[in-house]
Formats: sequence, structure tokens, C-alpha cells
Amino acid sequence: MAEKNKKMKKILMVGNPNVGKSALFNRLTGGEAIVSNYPGTTVDYTKGEFASGGVFYEVTDVPGTYSLEPRDGAEEVAVSILEKEKGEVVMIVLDATRVERGLYLALEVIERGYPAIIALNMIDEAHDKEISVSAGELQRLLGVPVVATSAVSGEGIKDLAMMVRKACVTDISRIKAALEGGNEDPAPSGCGGCTGCGGC
Amino acid sequence: MKKKLSEMDYGDFGTVCEISSNKSALRSLGVREGKTLTMVTKQPIKGPVVVMLGEVEVAIGLETADFVFVECA
Repeated sequence: MAEKNKKMKKILMVGNPNVGKSALFNRLTGGEAIVSNYPGTTVDYTKGEFASGGVFYEVTDVPGTYSLEPRDGAEEVAVSILEKEKGEVVMIVLDATRVERGLYLALEVIERGYPAIIALNMIDEAHDKEISVSAGELQRLLGVPVVATSAVSGEGIKDLAMMVRKACVTDISRIKAALEGGNEDPAPSGCGGCTGCGGC
Repeated sequence: MKKKLSEMDYGDFGTVCEISSNKSALRSLGVREGKTLTMVTKQPIKGPVVVMLGEVEVAIGLETADFVFVECA
């Protein structure tokens, strides 16, 4: 067990309240985090683990937060976890039906230099509402892996687990350049355009 | 016409043109200069205002709504 712990990589799940972090956490780890249909359910963190590609990951389900400048107790917990675990992989969970709302936090996390991967969660609901979100385009613009997932149906969960090792640091100025229309290189990890292959 | 968010009436809509305080908190919720919003609900007894920003509903305390200026159509 002690040896296993040494090899464990940490993943922090971060996102706005009510985007499905805990549901995704349960899917990934088989954990039993409490899930409900309203925001603010998770006020403290839960830890779980999973293995993918021979690597063990310790996942922390962080309370939802709108920004990295805390405004209440749950947000303080979220921010202090992030500060304590500087440099660890952050899995940013976005609600595919409200992508823009979550991008503020996503950019804050990226700006602070965390290796990041984005889970575009609730993709099933986006399909139902006929909202089309391009994970590939988001990946190209942000320069970090983006995987469409649904914690409810299980769609994309395996891809997400495979792509975690591709999480990477990206430069905020590169994102700005990409948004301003420059034909910037895709993700510095050499991974861009496609999503979910896990084996580039 | 420029109005405070706290003074907007039900159904009014406009573009956020100025945020005079609490900027970072409002920004992280999606209330930013240049965004279009619609007043959805005003709660009685100095309760919060609820605005629709794109597809997202945001509730804002009345004191905070005082800091947001909206150019109404």
C-alpha cells in the first residue's frame, strides 16, 4: 500500500457549483460522494482513486466555486485545496449547456499554471437541448485536452480517464492569441484537434 | 438610458456598461461589461434580483445590484 501511494498522481476536480463534479467523481472512482440536483451540495472535499494505463490516481472532489477568490466557506475550502496542491493536475469540469459560465474559473486555473484537463460534462443534456459544443475547437483554443463526458450516461468517462495523463500547462497569452484568430500551434503536448483517443 | 440594475423593472433588458464595485465577484458570475442581461425576477422586501445572462440565471443581492449600471434599450 505504501509503495502504491508513492506512485499515485493527484487530480483535483474543480468547477462551478452544480456542474456534476461529484457525479463524475463517483463514475471515475466508484465513490459515494453525495450527489443532488441543486448547487452547493459538496461543502467539503472527498477523496477517491482510480487506475488508468497502469497509473494510480488519487482524485479529490473539490467543492464548487465560481472563482479563485473565495466568497464563502465552501469556496475557501476549494481555494485552499488548490493552493496546498500547487502543481498537481486539475480536472476542470464544465457544464456543456453553460460553457461560458465555467470558462472564467477555467482560465483562472490555467493562468495559475496548473496542468489542466477539461471535462465537458452534461454533454447528454446539451444534446437534448440541441446545444452543440465542439470539444475539439475548445481544445484547440485552450491548448489543454477537452473531453466530452456525461456522468449520467457514462459517455466519455473512459476517454477522460485515458486523457488524464495528457493534462498540460498552457500559457494564457497563447490562448489569447488563439482567440484573436492566429493560427497558433495546438496543445504544446503535441495533442490537438482530436479528442478522446487517449493514445496519441 | 443608463439605469442601476437595482432600479430595473421586470422584463427590462440592456447591456452592462459599468460595474463600480465588487467587480471580481460579479465577473466570476458572468456579469461583465458588454454583456446583455434581462431582468427576470425582483423579490420583494429588498430581496435579490434575478437576471438572465444568456442561458444562465444569476441572482444578485440588491446592494450588489446597486453597483451595476445597465444601458437599457
